[in-house]
Amino acid sequence: MKPNAAPLIEIRGVSKAFPGARALDDVSLAVHAGEVHMLVGQNGAGKSTLIKVLCGAHHPDQGDFLVDGSPVRIHSVADARRLGIAVIFQEFSLVPCLNVAQNIFLGREIRDRRRMHAEAAKLLELLGTPLDTHARVDQLGVAQQQVVEIAKALSQNTRILVMDEPTAALSEPEIAKLFARIRKLKQDGIAIIYISHRLREVFEIGDRITVLRDGRVAASLIPSQTSAGELVRLMIGREVDNSYGRRFCERPGESILETRNLSATNGIHEASINIRAGEIVGLAGLVGSGRTELVRAIFGADHVSRGEVLLNGKPLKGAPADSVRLGVGLVPENRKTEGLALIRSVHDNLLVAGLRVVFPNRWYSFGRATQLVTRLIARLSIATPSARRLTRFLSGGNQQKVVIGKWLNAGSRFFIFDEPTRGIDVGAKSEIFALLDGIVAQGAAVLMISSELPEIVSVCDRAYVMRDKTIAGELQRNELTEENILKLAMHHG
Amino acid sequence: MGNPRPPLRIPGIAYLLAVLVVFFTVFGTRFASAPNLLNVGTQSSILLLLALPMTLIIMTEGLDLSMGAVMGLSGVVLAMLLVKGTSLPAAFAMALGVGTIFGIANGLLVVALEMPPFVATLGMLGVAEGIALVLTDGQSVVGIGSALPAVYSNRWLGIPFSIVVAVLAYAAFHYFLYHTRAGTYVFALGGNREALILAGVPANRYHVFIYLLGGLMAGMGAFLLTGRMSGGHPTAAIGMEFDAVVAVIIGGTKLERGDGWLPGSVLGVLTVGVLKNGLNVMAVPSSLQIASIGLLVIVALLMDSLRGNS
Repeated sequence: MKPNAAPLIEIRGVSKAFPGARALDDVSLAVHAGEVHMLVGQNGAGKSTLIKVLCGAHHPDQGDFLVDGSPVRIHSVADARRLGIAVIFQEFSLVPCLNVAQNIFLGREIRDRRRMHAEAAKLLELLGTPLDTHARVDQLGVAQQQVVEIAKALSQNTRILVMDEPTAALSEPEIAKLFARIRKLKQDGIAIIYISHRLREVFEIGDRITVLRDGRVAASLIPSQTSAGELVRLMIGREVDNSYGRRFCERPGESILETRNLSATNGIHEASINIRAGEIVGLAGLVGSGRTELVRAIFGADHVSRGEVLLNGKPLKGAPADSVRLGVGLVPENRKTEGLALIRSVHDNLLVAGLRVVFPNRWYSFGRATQLVTRLIARLSIATPSARRLTRFLSGGNQQKVVIGKWLNAGSRFFIFDEPTRGIDVGAKSEIFALLDGIVAQGAAVLMISSELPEIVSVCDRAYVMRDKTIAGELQRNELTEENILKLAMHHG
Repeated sequence: MGNPRPPLRIPGIAYLLAVLVVFFTVFGTRFASAPNLLNVGTQSSILLLLALPMTLIIMTEGLDLSMGAVMGLSGVVLAMLLVKGTSLPAAFAMALGVGTIFGIANGLLVVALEMPPFVATLGMLGVAEGIALVLTDGQSVVGIGSALPAVYSNRWLGIPFSIVVAVLAYAAFHYFLYHTRAGTYVFALGGNREALILAGVPANRYHVFIYLLGGLMAGMGAFLLTGRMSGGHPTAAIGMEFDAVVAVIIGGTKLERGDGWLPGSVLGVLTVGVLKNGLNVMAVPSSLQIASIGLLVIVALLMDSLRGNS
């Protein structure tokens, strides 16, 4: 039915830059009616930006859109809607306290209430999922909410349906049902753009694959003519170089932090990791795989339901305050809001976590404080005109050093670094890594979360890879490659 | 528009109200008499006029602290116009107008200027109260003639005028919230504003309108208040917004997600009314009454969270 017809939607040469980053660079893709077009790529490859451009939420700097072969303008969400483009984001756009029918017809209510419910029921029937149209959506499961979202999209004459990781929160049987629904939509001539992190799905439901890498189209392929291995290679794309030149840990010491079959209320289940003195251990995984949740559970910020966390061989339980006292230092991803008091000085920030250790008898000594701060600034080579400088005036790299310094002061032996190099320029990066090296050389242990696979590969002694809120596997130094990480991080086979 | 189904279980507030009624019937000798119960109704009717729009405002994760002060100002304007000899309909229209202007101002501050509702309406509280004090020099406005008191003392099938007004107001709000498009959007404003905007609905306009209703109902309440007192007093209704917030919250409306329940607000208003009246009948000092209202909120929320956890 399709080969000769014009594509239902075509994107030509779309580019979009954000301050400091080129999110999309000359991206083109075409989707035919009745085709499922898979969009794959690493975190930050440009998938989300592409969707936002497509649904009118972002304006591209360059590029054209064609629908049915004729050029169109997408300048707003309303424009996209009019052209029949609907996006189902991972965060659903449903109103929790309204019922199913009201959500489907939000903004396009039908005056006759009975007819509105009948129409809604008909749509759900078409999707093969009869739901009570009077039920409030906050009383439905995630899979049912997704059905409501799809019905909502279909009720507005959608011809192009974009789905952002639709299976992220679904169970196996629910996924099977979703795929059945998608096949039905294909028969009705709807074009589907499907973003996935799961390679198995790419081959199961996809008709065509576009691989994005660093904002560019790395390849456009037919599933039957490629393999999971090739896709992974295309997503990574560059040669790996160990540019940080770290001397790896030959002989790790005793276990510093261990989790045994850790399960927590935030979804983490059966996660076991072990980090020894002198090691930098990476924690990799795609967005939503549970890296942050695992760290929160270790730190005591989310409730642990089963299993245990051992610090220096002793069970660690309770609130973050206890973890800090026992020597866990967290360098959070968002240092500006979670790691630093930006309107306070370098001096204050360096002291805040270690007050208990530095002043054991509860009296503040200005002399002792100044002495310690001066030593830390020198040791970490923090570039600041004085200890009184407000931290918000420092560069990203120097801010990061202050956060690290504050935990050194607190006497921490176990550090969690969440995306330690985000927003830091290349020069400062190697300084941060040198600092990590120095910390572990003195017998501490570091768990480093990073989305930058090359960083994990070149800096870490070992790495754990997460998937679906648990540990998917462990990679030793000699197995630690970007390809192996991605293979573990994605579903396939 | 197919309203969301009301919760199937009986809300905690209903039990609380029943307990209070039984308690005061047993221990307050004059509580359960017909005249006193009508009195509870009359006293509660003004509060209900405020609690109705307050429910919608709280559902949108907002707040209107200026309602009491605006009602006071509207009442003063109404009384002063009547003293000057303006006809009752014209004076009433002015009172409603004053309320509406303040309502729109609140809405614009919150929606257009994105000020936190707490701060914006607290500011408007000060403005309204200040103007009322300047207009009256802090004195009561007396000599409003007989037209308004005559309307106020009307009875309809033995039911006092103010109760009739309150019932009609409830009916109007119920229809609005559960049977119109705009009502659906009130749920959406609090539940998922983004979804509403993506659906192409002019969300800001509806949002301002909800605050407008708050001012309008404050003007309506001023009519009853002035009738009851046969005069205007600038600070007569100060603090009533607090009772309205209490009534809405103990009535089961949540402070987030657009989860509101209008009938619950009626129960909340009645609970506040019964508690105040009952304590009065038992001659409990007024300072202790204030404390008991505060305690009421905590007990009601505690009951709901305990039931929610079980």
